[in-house]
Amino acid sequence: MKKPTTILRELLAGDEPVRAPGVVDCIGARIVAKEGFEAIYMTGAGTTASRLGWPDVGLLTMTEMADNAQRIAEASGLPVVADADTGYGGPLNVQRTVRTYERAGVAALHIEDQRWPKRCGHLDGKTLISVEEMASHIRAACDARHDQDFVVIARTDAIAVEGFEAALERAKCYEEAGADVIFVEAPRDMTQLASIPRQLKKPALFNMAASGKTPFLSVEEIKALGFKLILYPNFMMLAAIPAMHKVLQELKRTGSVKGLVGEVASFQDFFNLLGMDEVKILEEKYLTDKERRVRY
Amino acid sequence: MSKASLLRKNLASSGMLIAPGAYDAIGAKLIEQAGFPLVYMTGAGTSASLGYPDYGLLTLTEMAENAGVLARSVNVPVISDADTGYGNELNMIRTVREFESRGVAGIHIEDQVMPKRCGHLDNKEIEPLEKYVSKIRAAVEARIDPHFFIIARTDSRASMGFDEAIRRGNAALHAGADMVFVEAPQSIEEVRAIPERIKGPCLLNVVQGGKTPEINLQEAQQMGFKVAILPGVLLRAAVNVFDQVLETVKRDHVVPAFLNTSTPHQNFRRFGADEWDELRRCYATDSQAANQSEGQLGAKIN
Repeated sequence: MKKPTTILRELLAGDEPVRAPGVVDCIGARIVAKEGFEAIYMTGAGTTASRLGWPDVGLLTMTEMADNAQRIAEASGLPVVADADTGYGGPLNVQRTVRTYERAGVAALHIEDQRWPKRCGHLDGKTLISVEEMASHIRAACDARHDQDFVVIARTDAIAVEGFEAALERAKCYEEAGADVIFVEAPRDMTQLASIPRQLKKPALFNMAASGKTPFLSVEEIKALGFKLILYPNFMMLAAIPAMHKVLQELKRTGSVKGLVGEVASFQDFFNLLGMDEVKILEEKYLTDKERRVRY
Repeated sequence: MSKASLLRKNLASSGMLIAPGAYDAIGAKLIEQAGFPLVYMTGAGTSASLGYPDYGLLTLTEMAENAGVLARSVNVPVISDADTGYGNELNMIRTVREFESRGVAGIHIEDQVMPKRCGHLDNKEIEPLEKYVSKIRAAVEARIDPHFFIIARTDSRASMGFDEAIRRGNAALHAGADMVFVEAPQSIEEVRAIPERIKGPCLLNVVQGGKTPEINLQEAQQMGFKVAILPGVLLRAAVNVFDQVLETVKRDHVVPAFLNTSTPHQNFRRFGADEWDELRRCYATDSQAANQSEGQLGAKIN
């Protein structure tokens, strides 16, 4: 069986941009796989929201992120691109992060040039580490991987802090340092977006965030610009939020869930999504006769 | 009574609490059984037990979970190393809540820049005083149980001098810290000056082979320290004995005779076998009860 890291490398080398919808948990992971996407993204903002109920201001630990990534990799069976924030410290921490993510079965991670504790890339008030420090983090990350197909994505948050030109300069240094993919966070307009893939040698990442700072483009438009990997970090989670509100408000208003039955996933769909078919095959294989008589 | 309240009661009623350092439940239980009133969770030991040097590689999650294991294993209070609080004020708030919710009685937090280094290593980078003070304030206000014990550690002695370390200790007390931990004083005179110049309770870190000269614990108590932590004693002892045993087995192909002094069940009793046996009796069905004496006999023969 081909490794997820190799699959991702091959996808990145293809003509079509790789689409990685963002998830926060294994339900999302199963849904992305079922809908037939070729890759999946673990969002740090979403993971922080899901595991802590807090905003994305650098509160989650590497341990928690890697644990979530491992579950998502397992449940989706897809190559996982995982948020690794700043790498969680100096070069030694970055190496530990890469090794932990690699063991978790992740295919790619992105590390950024913010100072810890970081903030969501689309929030204000970010501070940066120096270009030299970040370059050493990238070198440390690349050296730390055991699987040479493991993809190291360098992210720069510099547009908001130092301006677009400086961000592009940083991106070029990060390419030199060995990053496999470049992620320039939160470009503001089409001019900036168009020049990113054009000025870089390595594949460029497009982050289709919900903040509105980056224009909402279609896959065709993103492909035409030359980006190779597209993240949709939080749209699934954001879609679930009004749906969950609606369930509770309906329950409060009518005192019953009856009116919702047609709108939510059926019990059967839910079990099917989670692979009940596979469980049945396993049970066929391993249950004793006595157990089987009781269960079926 | 919460463990934090118990710690405060013990501090009020005795001269100086001696807290040997543990990094797992075995050490914590042995410390309690030896009659110590306080267990210290060492970050260096916890790092080592996960296979890393104390270079700031561990996460809050790993530290808090280990401290939680120690806290649930003993009846005496556990105080823990919590490094820098793992970031800024917000991370500090989370840090306090993670340790407090696991039943830890208190933590020490320091003014190094993350990723931190062991207090007795060189090249430590220190945060500005006002940043440190605001993090202490955040820690103090984050606790749910007002008795949860906040120990302010300063690593500033090495790069900023002893006077700055004292100034930082007092500033931390003023911000609401319960105790001050001046890390790595460099002479007996400095050690003695700490309780004299700090306007509140002080902790002494007894490290073998570090920057601080060897100090007799009796003397430390007379100087006025309220807590003495001995972070490395059990780890060092374990490493020495492990090496000795492994060497003997490798060389002579025999298990050293000094290990042959107890049965497995006697060993289990160090880790709560009596309580669990009682529970087993309590919930046994009739047929299990009939068999149980046999089972125990089996355990003894083992």
